[in-house]
Amino acid sequence: MSVLDFDYMLGLLPVLLRYLPLTLEMAAAGMALALVLACLLAVIRVLAIPGLNAATVLFISFFRGTPLLVQLFLFYYGLPQVFSALTEINGITATILGLTLHFSAYMAESIRAAIVGVDRSQTEAALSIGMTNAQLMRRIVLPQATRVAVPTLMNYFIDMIKATSLAFTLGVTELMGATQKEAAGSFLYFEAFIMVAVLYWGIVELLAWLQRRLEARFNEAYQR
Amino acid sequence: MLRSVTLSLLGAAALATTGLTQADEPLKVGMSGGYFPFTFVEQDVLQGFEVDVLEAVADEMGVEVKFVTANFSGLFGMLESGRIDTIANQITITEEREAKYRFTEPYVYDGAQVVVKRGNDSIQGVEDLRGKSVAVNLGSNYESLINELPYADEIDIRTYESNIEQDTALGRVDAFVMDRVSASQVIKEKPLPLQLAGQPFSQIRNALPFREDDAELRDRVDTALAALREDGTLSAISNRWFGNDITRP
Repeated sequence: MSVLDFDYMLGLLPVLLRYLPLTLEMAAAGMALALVLACLLAVIRVLAIPGLNAATVLFISFFRGTPLLVQLFLFYYGLPQVFSALTEINGITATILGLTLHFSAYMAESIRAAIVGVDRSQTEAALSIGMTNAQLMRRIVLPQATRVAVPTLMNYFIDMIKATSLAFTLGVTELMGATQKEAAGSFLYFEAFIMVAVLYWGIVELLAWLQRRLEARFNEAYQR
Repeated sequence: MLRSVTLSLLGAAALATTGLTQADEPLKVGMSGGYFPFTFVEQDVLQGFEVDVLEAVADEMGVEVKFVTANFSGLFGMLESGRIDTIANQITITEEREAKYRFTEPYVYDGAQVVVKRGNDSIQGVEDLRGKSVAVNLGSNYESLINELPYADEIDIRTYESNIEQDTALGRVDAFVMDRVSASQVIKEKPLPLQLAGQPFSQIRNALPFREDDAELRDRVDTALAALREDGTLSAISNRWFGNDITRP
């Protein structure tokens, strides 16, 4: 028991790799949808659109204020008791929706901060030379805001990849679910969880590398 | 991915107008996939006593069987919300569950068993649990069995989502309680240093729970189970996994 069972670990690797695509797909879909929603929410907040603004504040407050697991259980097990048609939404879809709503609440705030962070004098300058509001956003504000937002958004994506491990409670066997089941069958917990930890870690390191390259590109304009 | 999102949203819309459960729909069975040797996974293959029984049942009914694996705590939620038809995870018939669900006839007869770390001879049965810490699976009937003991308030009951065997082997708790059959099987076949503590202390009967409004499906499954008992299939499956027949009282 005290020595690692390497044969078991090696045998486990191809099994776990089969579940990696699902984990990444759920995270990628969640990230894409969350980005769209978060931009929308951030714009509503920045422009303080009456009515919508209050709804957005409430949305962000709820999805930031409750644990993701609570939200997933609420949607997947709770709501269908009230609206029976919702049982047709499968676990994968429910997970993606949950990740989208949950993380968009956080991301909206960091996008908003990035937009607001662009110095007001630049807006005034742009408007004074006759730029329209759309031009101002597209050419002055957004490029700068994107550069500021990238590191935090990447952080949320990394978080989201790991958060997919909750999907097993909704009956989706993803990377962590597969590991839990294999460990429960073999009782070789250390081997199984080491293996899955290394896999998650590897993905995140890969993303961190991508992020560094992305940041370097965005920073080119600022290097002299 | 997006296609599956769209499809299931469309499905939800379509379902608002139509009913559920056609005669030839697959039998959707939930299980944890983490309860050796009843339902477990090895090299990505779902197997175990429950898998074999439910495959035989579906075969007998002439329908497909679809297994859905989820954390144990998610299983009853799935049953409630109609995502699965029943749960095959050694579900014991209890009063509370009988009030809520329609059960088939029992197909497993077993006993509750105290298990301790190997070498711990101070616990010889359920009466020695006073002042000890005991692990049980969250939402399992063993939790209520322990709670019903007259000296329950002297026992430190810890509920777990999974892995009670491991925590007992590690010495974090003094004992765990689950069914005699799987406990013996784990001790025999798995590398954890554990031993049975005394005799089983309560008879338990396992059956398949169905929702109240699903009584018709329950009856069909019941008929299939009776046929499998009659022709010896149930006994054969039990003998294959346990070396004896646990499907008869």
